[in-house]
Amino acid sequence: MSMAKRKKVIAFFKELGFQLDINRFDDRLVAQKLVCLLELKGIDLGYPCSMYVRGPYSPDLTRDLYEFHNEFEQFTTESHLGAHEKGTARNLDRIFGLKPILLEVGATYGYFSMKDGCSPLEALTCVKRLKPFYSEAQIAVGISKAKEFLFEPTAKDLEELKKETSIWQKASLRSMEH
Amino acid sequence: MRGVAGDPVHQDVLSILNESHALNAKIFSLVRLKLLASLAALGPDGATYRELKAALDIPDGVLYANLNVLKEMGYLTSEKIIFEGKDLELYTITGEGQDEWTRTRKWLCKFLYCGE
Repeated sequence: MSMAKRKKVIAFFKELGFQLDINRFDDRLVAQKLVCLLELKGIDLGYPCSMYVRGPYSPDLTRDLYEFHNEFEQFTTESHLGAHEKGTARNLDRIFGLKPILLEVGATYGYFSMKDGCSPLEALTCVKRLKPFYSEAQIAVGISKAKEFLFEPTAKDLEELKKETSIWQKASLRSMEH
Repeated sequence: MRGVAGDPVHQDVLSILNESHALNAKIFSLVRLKLLASLAALGPDGATYRELKAALDIPDGVLYANLNVLKEMGYLTSEKIIFEGKDLELYTITGEGQDEWTRTRKWLCKFLYCGE
């Protein structure tokens, strides 16, 4: 089980083009936050995150990253991702682009929202308290990325959005007629 | 007094307190225990000064002084790192620190659950 889960994570890293260098602090942080976001998205990688001083974090993943760093660095895996998993990896890459700060803010916000059941305002307050060294702009962008990646709009959300924007769309079309 | 001495919980407490001689008394402050517990969970990854300060809500002077004491005892190491263009101090627990924390945690848990 331990090997299978590690190989799955390596397959995700390979799909994302994320080649870990275990000696780099940034890379270890990116690895943690990628896995956390994928777990929050519902992909069971076997490395559940809990809250630590560094935000959501998996000590089990740290152990494997160090113990098997060669495998992570050389993308040694026989595991293959399914179509849904590949799609999720592509979305993660498109939205966050392997940027450490955005991934850190996004994963932290996602954890407070989804695991702790915080309201959006409570989750924002928690992120600001835990990561006061990031600017308002970095936090805002990170949260918006987390929302885009983690929270897919429901049919009801889309309907409400349509109602909300239809007035502006009609006004815009009318203005083009003149 | 005889009643207290004959109380099995009292005997347990005394026995657990006697076992504490094997521990390093210098780590028994709230701040140092918080730091060791936090860094032990992160293993070789460590945490930066600013992460510890924010998450544990410890004032700068107190945090810096206690991190240095733990470093002097050989329980922590620190190194400079650059993250997103910023110089940061990264603190990591040593093998000795992990061992001391494991012993202390075991003792604290025994003490906490004594009499239950």
